[in-house]
Amino acid sequence: MSSTPQEHGVGLAPLRQRKERRYPTPPDGVQTDAGAPIRASSLWRDAWYRYIRNRAAVIAGVAFLVLVAYCLIWPIVSPYDPYAVDFSQASDGPSLAHPFGTDQFGRDLFTRTALGGRVSIGIGFAATFVILTIGVTYGAIAGFLGGFVDNGLMRVLDALYGLPYLPFAIIVLAIFGGGNFWTMVVALSIASWFTTARIVRGQIITLKENDYVRAAHAVGARWLRVLGRHLLPNTLGVLVIAVFLELPGVILGEAFLSFIGLGISPPDASWGSMAQDGYRAYRTAPHIIIVPSVAIAYLILCANFIADGLRDALDPRTRET
Amino acid sequence: MTRLIIRRVLWTVPVILLVILMTFLLMRQIEGNPFRHSERAIPESIQRNLEAKYGLDDPWYVQYVRYVRDVATFDLGPSLVLRNRDVNDIVREHFPPSLELGALAMLFALVFGIPLGLLAALRANKWPDYSAMVVANVGFAVPSFLVATLLIYFFAVRWGDIFDVPTSGWDTWQSKILPTIALGLGPMAYFARLTRGSVLETLQQDYIRTARAKGLRRRRVVVVHTLRNSLIPVVTAAGPILGFLITGSFVIEQIFAIPGIGRYYVTAVTARDYSVVMGLTVLLAMIVIIANMVVDILYGILDPRTREAR
Amino acid sequence: MSAPLLEVRDLRTHFFTREGVVNAVDGVSLSVDRGRTLGLVGESGSGKSVTALSIIGLIPKPPARIVSGEVIFDGRDLTTLSERQLEDVRGERIAMIFQDPMTSLNPTLTIETQLVETIRRHTDVPRREARRRAIELLDEVGIPNPDARIKDYPHRLSGGMRQRVMIAIALSCEPDLLIADEPTTALDVTVQAQVLDLLDDLRREHDMAMIVITHDMGVIAEVADEVAVMYAGQIVEHASAAALFARPEHPYTEALLGALPQLEDHASRSGRLTAIPGRPPSLLDPPPGCRFAARCLYAGEPDGCAEHPPELRELRPGHLVRSEHPASERARPREGAPA
Repeated sequence: MSSTPQEHGVGLAPLRQRKERRYPTPPDGVQTDAGAPIRASSLWRDAWYRYIRNRAAVIAGVAFLVLVAYCLIWPIVSPYDPYAVDFSQASDGPSLAHPFGTDQFGRDLFTRTALGGRVSIGIGFAATFVILTIGVTYGAIAGFLGGFVDNGLMRVLDALYGLPYLPFAIIVLAIFGGGNFWTMVVALSIASWFTTARIVRGQIITLKENDYVRAAHAVGARWLRVLGRHLLPNTLGVLVIAVFLELPGVILGEAFLSFIGLGISPPDASWGSMAQDGYRAYRTAPHIIIVPSVAIAYLILCANFIADGLRDALDPRTRET
Repeated sequence: MTRLIIRRVLWTVPVILLVILMTFLLMRQIEGNPFRHSERAIPESIQRNLEAKYGLDDPWYVQYVRYVRDVATFDLGPSLVLRNRDVNDIVREHFPPSLELGALAMLFALVFGIPLGLLAALRANKWPDYSAMVVANVGFAVPSFLVATLLIYFFAVRWGDIFDVPTSGWDTWQSKILPTIALGLGPMAYFARLTRGSVLETLQQDYIRTARAKGLRRRRVVVVHTLRNSLIPVVTAAGPILGFLITGSFVIEQIFAIPGIGRYYVTAVTARDYSVVMGLTVLLAMIVIIANMVVDILYGILDPRTREAR
Repeated sequence: MSAPLLEVRDLRTHFFTREGVVNAVDGVSLSVDRGRTLGLVGESGSGKSVTALSIIGLIPKPPARIVSGEVIFDGRDLTTLSERQLEDVRGERIAMIFQDPMTSLNPTLTIETQLVETIRRHTDVPRREARRRAIELLDEVGIPNPDARIKDYPHRLSGGMRQRVMIAIALSCEPDLLIADEPTTALDVTVQAQVLDLLDDLRREHDMAMIVITHDMGVIAEVADEVAVMYAGQIVEHASAAALFARPEHPYTEALLGALPQLEDHASRSGRLTAIPGRPPSLLDPPPGCRFAARCLYAGEPDGCAEHPPELRELRPGHLVRSEHPASERARPREGAPA
């Protein structure tokens, strides 16, 4: 078995499957309790209701969607060309014409931020997707097959944990000879999928040992069916949470790499490259670096609250009083 | 207990071998070698001589074995790009600042983060909790280059007359303040959140109720019973964080002009200075591995249940 | 006759939650004399644990609060004490043990630490002396090799042993009153009897009063001198154990004892719960009348049980009942009741 302590946090206890249930009508003369009627709901609807009740999570969800919408739509409708240089407008602070101001080349920051957002968020999601794919595959194989295979895979994973994340990303970028969208995706995901693999494996093992899975199996359900109806739906919750947990790390990774010049480079816009531009002018026009940084912070905050909300919604036992 | 430690230590060996192997293979994927891509045009014949001298024309597995042997004897080889300089020298000169920065940032994060989280948990859902968590969330989300920039902007540019804090170099203790804060703020926030969650969860446990039923003073219940058990996940997270701090300090080093290995690393990779890259990567990996190992051991100390689990 | 050691008067503890106010304990009065054992029996959710926790002030303060009532212990009203003063009472004068020994001990501290810290908290003895006393206590509760086991961590002990350790901790400062919340519920059947015997013996030796909370009538039969039956946050019957088993009055008690007339042939006082159809009322919105009315075999239209809550009245000296239809006042089963 794995030799490192168990993860704290994301591993969920198995959720109970609830089917629509109708309570038997009581015999005459005996009343049921004086309370409200009971409504049986499905698993996901329950989770949805719980999520909605969490104000911070809802706000974060909406804020996130607003951000994505902004990044997708604004560059299309914006009157400004994000690449057009116009020194007469350089380094202007925020104003009505330029809500975020302009950078030292006179480019409208409001538009560039949206454009940069496409790249940064895009890389974020793409890399997260890759991380999940590799992680889930690895973890599922280990957890499902168990025994010798599991042991071996986990040993290898323990070894892989020793790989330093950022240096390897840098090397990978060097291999590809530069930073663009896809190279960044690979670079950022190559050394980040280990935690996901471990979590998935843990979840699958917990579920496999769970009583109702054993019961299903005992009744004769074949493994594929068990997989489809019991294991995967429950793992899905963990995965959705994992997406929002990995996202901040990847976004920051992209920002850092671009900032030190290895990732997306100017004039292409990503939040990291914009920060690099802004850094050079921080003395006179600090807003140029503040804008993309705040955008990054905004995204990370949203992702955190969404992840927290999802975690509470899907496993109420972790809720704090 | 000692068995646990020995086993952990032994485990690091294959891991390091694997790291060397992977770095090695990856580096070889990069087109060219330092001589072909050097800025000064080197004549073909000299190129080949240099390659032979550094053994670059041997097959990769030969190079690999030779390298492993060298590492075992702590010889990281000469720099291929900078003549007359050994990787070991580079390490000796530039590694301590990075290490120190990482350690200081970690200390900062723990010393301020854990009490913050504890305070928030003990006054849960009241004002101290809300404000502490706002600070923590913001500190966690804001990228460190912004923190660094803002710190420099305010302390050096705006209020330069009041505070005399240097913003570059790594010599005086004053010069270490800003970089430490910039690098440590994120982890501090992370620890605060983690501690808060963990303490809240621990407070729900039955044994806390027992401790109170015994009439123990509140302070003892908090410190001895609650905090000790709550720190377990914090300790678990601290290992990877330490690794992250040391390896991820590249940005901070650049901004504060700290002569650490961060800057060297980037230039070495682009110049295809194999030995420097290899040496530094191996070194960084070892730090991460050792950090994880220490965490594992600490975990065993903190939670007696795991000592016999294997 | 001396004053009772503990007297609870009209205690009301409410939980203020987002969904509303839960009247978990709604007007509970009871008393325990020195050296006697009171059994507090009822199903889950009846409020018995909350009552116990309210006595020593361990209810979770944000959602819960003692709304009214008094808890007079040895002349002082505990509900008026500050937290610090309560800390002095807990462990030293009133001790409490809980249901699940697996989770009630701190897994990261040795048995020794958990015992010694209690002793040194309330008495002024040096560590070595405290340790010696701890070993003595372990021996007294029946742990073999106490000087070796004292260094163990809780996870090395079985459930029964852990509960014994809990008892040792509770006894360590010679409390006047021991509250045992479901002390045997989480244990194996074979161990249950041992632990109950141990509790009874210790109580006699140390001349302690005891409150035993349980849902199991068998436990009551074993150790209780007096019994209070709780239902939906209220005491519905209070009598000496002998009287309760001989002549139960409240319909709920009868059901608990399985002594309803129509089940005479099955009735053996094995203390098994008969399944009573229906469920306890929600305490968020308690019914206006008698809380048991919905499940009572004797409640009906004309007697107004559903509208007017019955008071706790003394049917016989020492035997209190909260019901309009106590057994001794029933003429005969109503028409329509199961034969």
